[in-house]
Amino acid sequence: MSCVNLIEKERNAIINPLKTCQPLGAMYAVTGIRRAVPLVHGSQGCSTFVRYSLSRHFREPSEIAVTSLHEDAAVFGGRRNLIEGLQNVAIRLNPSLIGVITTCSSEIIGDDIIGFIKTAKKELTEKIGEEKTEKIKIVPISTPSFVETHLKGYDNAVKALVDHVAEPSEPNGKVNIIPGMVNPGDIREIKHILGLMDIESIVLTDISDPFDSPLRPSATELKPYYPKGGTTVEEIVDSANSTGTISLTKYAGSGAVSLEKKYNVPAELGPIPIGVQNTDQFLRNLKKLTGQDVTDDILDERGLLIDSMADLSSRYLHNRTVAIYGDPEITAGIARFVGELGMVPQLVLTGASNKTFVEDIEKVAKETGVEIDTMVGGDLRQMEVYLKDNPVDILIGSSDGRLIAKEAEIPLVRVGFPVYDRVGYHRHPIVGYNGGIHLIDLITNTVLENYYEHQHWKLQQ
Amino acid sequence: MPYKLFDVSKPIPERKEHTYVKHCNDPEDCIPKCNSKTIPGSMTERGCAFAGAKGVITGAIKDVAHVVHSPIGCTMYGYGSKRYPTTTELPDGSEFPVKDFNIKYIIGTDLQESDVVFGGMKKLRQAVRETNKEFPFVNAIYLYATCTTGLIGDDMDAAAKEMEEEIGKPVIAFNAPGFAGSTQSKGHQIGNDTLFAKIVGTTEPPATTPYDINFIGEYNIDGDLWLLKEYFNEIGINILSTFTGDCCHNELGWMHRAKLSVVRCQRSSTYIAKMIEEKYGVPYIKTDFFSTEYCAENLRTVAKFFGLEDKAEEVIAKRMAKVGPELDFYREKLTGKKVFIFSGGPKSYHLSIPLHNELGLETTGVSSMFEHEDGFEKMKDRVKEGALVIDDPNTLELEELIEDYDIDLILGGVKEKYLVHKLGIPSLLIHSYENGPYMGFEGFLNLARDMYSAIYNPVWNILEFQETEDPDVADVTGEAAEEVEK
Repeated sequence: MSCVNLIEKERNAIINPLKTCQPLGAMYAVTGIRRAVPLVHGSQGCSTFVRYSLSRHFREPSEIAVTSLHEDAAVFGGRRNLIEGLQNVAIRLNPSLIGVITTCSSEIIGDDIIGFIKTAKKELTEKIGEEKTEKIKIVPISTPSFVETHLKGYDNAVKALVDHVAEPSEPNGKVNIIPGMVNPGDIREIKHILGLMDIESIVLTDISDPFDSPLRPSATELKPYYPKGGTTVEEIVDSANSTGTISLTKYAGSGAVSLEKKYNVPAELGPIPIGVQNTDQFLRNLKKLTGQDVTDDILDERGLLIDSMADLSSRYLHNRTVAIYGDPEITAGIARFVGELGMVPQLVLTGASNKTFVEDIEKVAKETGVEIDTMVGGDLRQMEVYLKDNPVDILIGSSDGRLIAKEAEIPLVRVGFPVYDRVGYHRHPIVGYNGGIHLIDLITNTVLENYYEHQHWKLQQ
Repeated sequence: MPYKLFDVSKPIPERKEHTYVKHCNDPEDCIPKCNSKTIPGSMTERGCAFAGAKGVITGAIKDVAHVVHSPIGCTMYGYGSKRYPTTTELPDGSEFPVKDFNIKYIIGTDLQESDVVFGGMKKLRQAVRETNKEFPFVNAIYLYATCTTGLIGDDMDAAAKEMEEEIGKPVIAFNAPGFAGSTQSKGHQIGNDTLFAKIVGTTEPPATTPYDINFIGEYNIDGDLWLLKEYFNEIGINILSTFTGDCCHNELGWMHRAKLSVVRCQRSSTYIAKMIEEKYGVPYIKTDFFSTEYCAENLRTVAKFFGLEDKAEEVIAKRMAKVGPELDFYREKLTGKKVFIFSGGPKSYHLSIPLHNELGLETTGVSSMFEHEDGFEKMKDRVKEGALVIDDPNTLELEELIEDYDIDLILGGVKEKYLVHKLGIPSLLIHSYENGPYMGFEGFLNLARDMYSAIYNPVWNILEFQETEDPDVADVTGEAAEEVEK
């Protein structure tokens, strides 16, 4: 019977989370803007832990400023911290944009962020003049840590950016892409596809260079260091004039919806182009929005993926069971793809509580004819306990499952965020047809290494 | 003028007091201003008090379940981020069922908006019950306040007391919300105070010897403790309690029975050694086990306390025979290279002299995220004329000093590492190491090797494209040139 078998977490406490709080998603989004600075209005842990998390995954700098809230701010509010913090960032770092990212503490204290920004701008104007002050966009991004997850923080950030920065003028013929929280390799693959279809785009926001930037001291912007690339503020301004917006994730499409409502920029939300059919859908969406044809070059790339699947799926992957965990969009996308590979998505697990995720998985269940054990709002401990009685052949997810995989002696294919115990995973795409090729190689090699190597003669072609 | 204002910090002249340039004739109290609040809007390396309590002090304990009372972020960030492995051995000879339990699991209350409005006490109590059910073998449950619970006023101690009675095992609350104090140092202190007040003196060791020490402030980063423990064992000194690397909850309870407290990380844990001395009369000494020289000297000091000097000499001689020749190789390669030490605290004074004396390196400057005055006095004493001593440097200042000073290697953390590389300078992780352990004799050799491999990484010779081929590029170690000279 094909259906979704929802497995509830039988406790309230979270043990080994599969999610973090909103501010991380916002800091990630602001980092994708050219010469932008995330300014976290909270305690120092709120910036330091995130910098640590991002740096160890991407192996790149993650420069985030903080207003350093302490006891006095807890009592009297963080007014001076934010006003001074904004001015220091503006004067010392000369950014194009400052994203003011709230936290649990600043939200609970109830700081009037909009009011403080106004005061800061006024004081800043006295110091550096109106022209310079006006050049720096200051965007308030409300990310209360006690609501939803990091994805909501990303969503709130992208929405705040377009709401505060986008301005309608002349149609630009471009497509806005909201990539979701993906890796540099994924965004580069999306841009590659758009290039093949001759479509110009505005990526909201583009972390591909900032989180995977060249080491070239002679060509690096210093004092302050700003990484190469990122979406320019001008592009965000122009996003109101695009032909349409495609959010690669249904879970963080508020920016797209807002652009549609305010500026009649049509929005398409998801699915993330992981696997064949999701990528097909992405191309159809692109064609629908722009009228551009799906070119032969792209269809050849599709053909390379199909070729791999024909060569590898039935021979090595058929009926192998998989447990997939991580962010909802990526988890659902991979579940569909492993179904396309003839594998069995036995368990899917996400930390977010989301109805859309269940709908996505229902669709995969129908396509695969598999009863899919599904954990929503779950944690890694839940999966660890589940695997004791319900082992699988392969785990697919982040490094945070590595000790569970090791103990259960199940090989882990690393995808998503964070991956800190292997290298290169931020660079290679999992989206698009090329991402599919990368994923099928990863999965198949894992199968060969773990399930064929002991009968090595079977590895002779 | 002994103080320096970086150009990039001219808009915040208050920073001047935080950067001291060593002048040998300066009065003693000439040190950078420290342990004060960071200027808002900085890209600071500093963390929060919760990080100091859970991340540093208690997270290394092997048989305790840690419940973070927070929105999900603090719980997530308290998970799997520190390298303090643990064994399953318990002092009474029994086995704890899970290896590296402290690294493997974290529990959180996942506070939601309604909890912020109505309070999270019920959730906290429930989390303790659930934790005890999920991990019935843990010997204690520790609860952590965070910014949210500090602000909404949840009474952590009351919940701990109530749950301790209910589940019949120790439940201890650590009230170190993120906003407390100016750095993570406040969390270290709260961790010390809480463990002293709630645990020390509550248990008795299974056995004692006349050679028992508390090894305080040793967190077993990358296995440091296991290395140092070998030395002590061979000398005949028994580590009765470690605070807190690879230790168990009960072990902290009998710290009052040791003959001597040996303090390793002086910033994060001198507090508890002092309190134990005051209340139970156990004397303490501050020690240093980075480098062969300091390690030998401090092993001698501890051994002397117990009249075991001869044994110490044997251990030292044996280890030096093992690492000495290789260290000679690295000294030859590293002599004259310049380092900047961006440490959390004490490493900035532990390392400068040994790096010079034993490996020939020069220290261009040192900095610290969370040291206090006493630590900065030592930092200043142990660097040479003209060296920088900086409190809480921010990213821009790091950039400027890399540009202005001659630096061959930066010892720092993950947050600095990749930026430093972008500026074309090698770096090495000193907070939790690259290929550690770094303490003790073998550890210092590891550090020397990692510094050598960072500085002599062939990539630094081929950093940029050259229009014409440079014939020396292939000679990355300089060995060919030396051959020619011969």
